[in-house]
Amino acid sequence: MLRRGLILFVLVGFLTVAGTVSAHTPLFSCFDNADGTIYCEGGFSDGSSAAGVPIIVKDASGEVILSLQLSGNSDVEFDKPEDEYSVLFDGGEGHDILIPGSQIFE
Amino acid sequence: MKRGLLLAGLLTLFLSAPALAHFQMLYTPESALNQGGEMSMKLVFTHPFEGDHIMDMDPVQEFYMVHQRGEEGEPQKTDLKEYLSEITWKGLGDAAGKAFDATLPARVVRSMGDYVFVLVPTPYYEKADEGYIQQFTKMIMNVGGMPGNWHEPLGLPAEIVPRNKPYANWTGGVFTGVVMSNGEPVPNIEVEIEYLNVDVDMAGNAFVGEPKIEAPHPAFETMTVLANDKGEFTIGLPKAGWWGIAVPDVVELEHEGKELVQEAVLWIQVTDIP
Repeated sequence: MLRRGLILFVLVGFLTVAGTVSAHTPLFSCFDNADGTIYCEGGFSDGSSAAGVPIIVKDASGEVILSLQLSGNSDVEFDKPEDEYSVLFDGGEGHDILIPGSQIFE
Repeated sequence: MKRGLLLAGLLTLFLSAPALAHFQMLYTPESALNQGGEMSMKLVFTHPFEGDHIMDMDPVQEFYMVHQRGEEGEPQKTDLKEYLSEITWKGLGDAAGKAFDATLPARVVRSMGDYVFVLVPTPYYEKADEGYIQQFTKMIMNVGGMPGNWHEPLGLPAEIVPRNKPYANWTGGVFTGVVMSNGEPVPNIEVEIEYLNVDVDMAGNAFVGEPKIEAPHPAFETMTVLANDKGEFTIGLPKAGWWGIAVPDVVELEHEGKELVQEAVLWIQVTDIP
């Protein structure tokens, strides 16, 4: 009886989590603070938090310059790279968003 | 006999004239923005279906926004009065009146999430009623598709709290809201709805063009529904554009020896399915 209850709980829990993950769209936005830093914020279209989502800053050749994570407030700030760069919101399969530095404005 | 007929005709016209519905507007062209940035808003006190009557606004008491990014984000209140400047708003025909422009810098509205704009105007003296009107007006904008506090009451003396995202409505849909006063639902109260029936020239501070709809009867200009016993109401959205929802006489007070009625206004935007 206890075993059946445990299996049911795990299944329901898995389905609930899986449903939450697939039902919303990732959102990511970055701004140039005009003081040598870049500010990025992320989230999901259902309003849920993106805290802990990895943020990868790459150079023009795709090499990783910085590996960061969104804070508890779903945002992050970092020094603006001197050369060409891009910022990746690494939300997992189907939930990645890449923003080229050339599209990050004040 | 002829004079009598003329008088009767004039009297009929007078009696059948629609009750003029005052709506405090808080207007910007788009309420669902993909990206934040500098934006302009117009604060105009008018009759939106007719667009030919503009009432002079006095300097506003309060103008602020409550921004929230995500359901778990912290709501942040920002005073916006410093961005207001007085303008003259031109209505159709010769109508004109004092209004306000708010040009908000990009840093104020650049982040994703909901922005609940709130305008508390100085009470307006309505000569015909020998009393004052004060409309607590809300317009809710979203940047980037991340929701926030669009459905949260602010505890205003008179307030419409949306039950649909007010910036994401398809033509043909419905909109539901709750009438509240100081955070409590107001049961069985009358709700008025008007379509912004004219185009807006943001640069020229004017209503322009011809009215889009010709109402077959005055009751279609200012439509009315009654909220239920929980203060809830639902309206249909048959045409794209801006719709003003107003709740008259939520609170009755006294101001400078006259009656003051505090009212609630909410603006929602409706978009055609492409």
